[in-house]
Amino acid sequence: MWHTVYIVHYVEHMPLSPDIIETLRLELRRGALILAVLGALRTEKYGYTLRAELAEQGVEIDEGALYPMLRRLETQGLLTSEWREDAKRQKRFYRLSADGASALSQLTEAWRAMNRAIDGILKEGR
Amino acid sequence: MNPVTRYVKEVEKNLSGMRRIQTSAKIYKVLSIKVDGLEAKLGREPTDAEMEALLAEFGAPADVAASYSAMGAPMHDLVERYLAAVRRRLPEKQAKDIAAELRDGIAGKIEAKEEALGHAASADDVAAILKEFGHPVVVASRYSGRDYLIGPNLYPWFWDAQRVGVGLVFALVMVITAVKALKSERAMAMVITGIGGAIEAAIWMFGVITVVFIVMERTRTDVRIARGWNPKALPQDHIRKPRPLFDTLFALAFDTIFILWWIKVVDFPNDIPGRGNSMELHFAEAWASMHTPILALALLMAAVHVSDIVHPAWSRLRSAVSILGHVGGIAVLWVLGRSGPLVSVTAATEESTRAAELAGSINAVFGYSLAIVGLFWAIGIGVEVWRQVKAMRPTSPHAGVAA
Repeated sequence: MWHTVYIVHYVEHMPLSPDIIETLRLELRRGALILAVLGALRTEKYGYTLRAELAEQGVEIDEGALYPMLRRLETQGLLTSEWREDAKRQKRFYRLSADGASALSQLTEAWRAMNRAIDGILKEGR
Repeated sequence: MNPVTRYVKEVEKNLSGMRRIQTSAKIYKVLSIKVDGLEAKLGREPTDAEMEALLAEFGAPADVAASYSAMGAPMHDLVERYLAAVRRRLPEKQAKDIAAELRDGIAGKIEAKEEALGHAASADDVAAILKEFGHPVVVASRYSGRDYLIGPNLYPWFWDAQRVGVGLVFALVMVITAVKALKSERAMAMVITGIGGAIEAAIWMFGVITVVFIVMERTRTDVRIARGWNPKALPQDHIRKPRPLFDTLFALAFDTIFILWWIKVVDFPNDIPGRGNSMELHFAEAWASMHTPILALALLMAAVHVSDIVHPAWSRLRSAVSILGHVGGIAVLWVLGRSGPLVSVTAATEESTRAAELAGSINAVFGYSLAIVGLFWAIGIGVEVWRQVKAMRPTSPHAGVAA
């Protein structure tokens, strides 16, 4: 019996692994990143400035993940892009397409609804 | 002309090659940052003399050109090697475009680093930036859109298929090995070779199943599997738990050996142990009439065990076939029991009395054994009938939930 009591006590007080928190945090922000990128591209930007602007707003994203995401969103018709010279270098500028603007508006609505719902749940839990 | 522009033109004269414009633009940028810093420090625009002093401190145009060219070469090489490593793993059609975009992204990061440092980035700085960008394999894989060969939706079926496929092929090769070993004079060597062959066959099966699942993943079969299931087809665990695969394979191996022996593909020695070749055990005439029914029952059981591999859970049909098999088995035993002796012992004339005694003992043991087998089969019929009745009753939606 003491063995069981000890295990229950240990499981209840086991320190939460930072890896678990990190994995949960990554899962939480995965979908939100797309919304952030679409929102930021209401005005035209190229990869580097987009990342810098997102970081300034507190949304960090690796270049290794950002560029493939931009390409995927473009393939889905949500973004348009154009190669142009800027500061003596060829840069690819992205902006929201008409479909992208519509998707952004719908996703924003969904995001706000979810935020309200989760806020309500979290308040109830206090 | 402003002193910084004039200075950069001087540097440019000392530069050569394709990267002349990029390098001078970089120097211009670094100097602009330095001038901004000076302006902030002074709280006003620097005078020409102060600008000249700053430029003199930066270095003679020829030295600066030499130093930036020396730094630029390894840096350029590193970026190009990195891009080449990514490009190799990209789809041919998009490779050029993606590499150009990555080059732009990396250049942006290098520029930001140089602004922060106040001088050109070294090869170490560039290496650190590239490392932050991500391993070429990982970066390239993100453009493929699929990060896995077998996704989480197919993965559970993948292991189920492996368990059945690998288990079945291993058991099959082992049965063939056992049959060959029984007929061979070098039984041990045959068994060792057979185990090797079974492992090899299992590895092959693992590979084949893996390839099939990769194709299924590519063709999005997982979506069809996930949608095409029926809750009513789930195992009725409250009636009987699904049969473990090992038990089924063991039973199937036994069925196979029995059938092969019954149809005389394999032969076991008839000699009675401890008596050399002087006495032999034979089935009595009674078995001859039962040859076909016994073969039919054995084939039926083997078929049931094969179906258990694919569908190990209890079903009405499986139960009905089991009842039928047991009833058939008991009928065969009944006929055999009424037909007189089950075995006979043949021996040389001088040992005939001893052989008759031995035959009597073996027949008695054999008779009791078959009676016990018959009893077990009767119990089996009872259990299956009870399960059939249980399956007719509707289950409570709360069954199994503790009160």
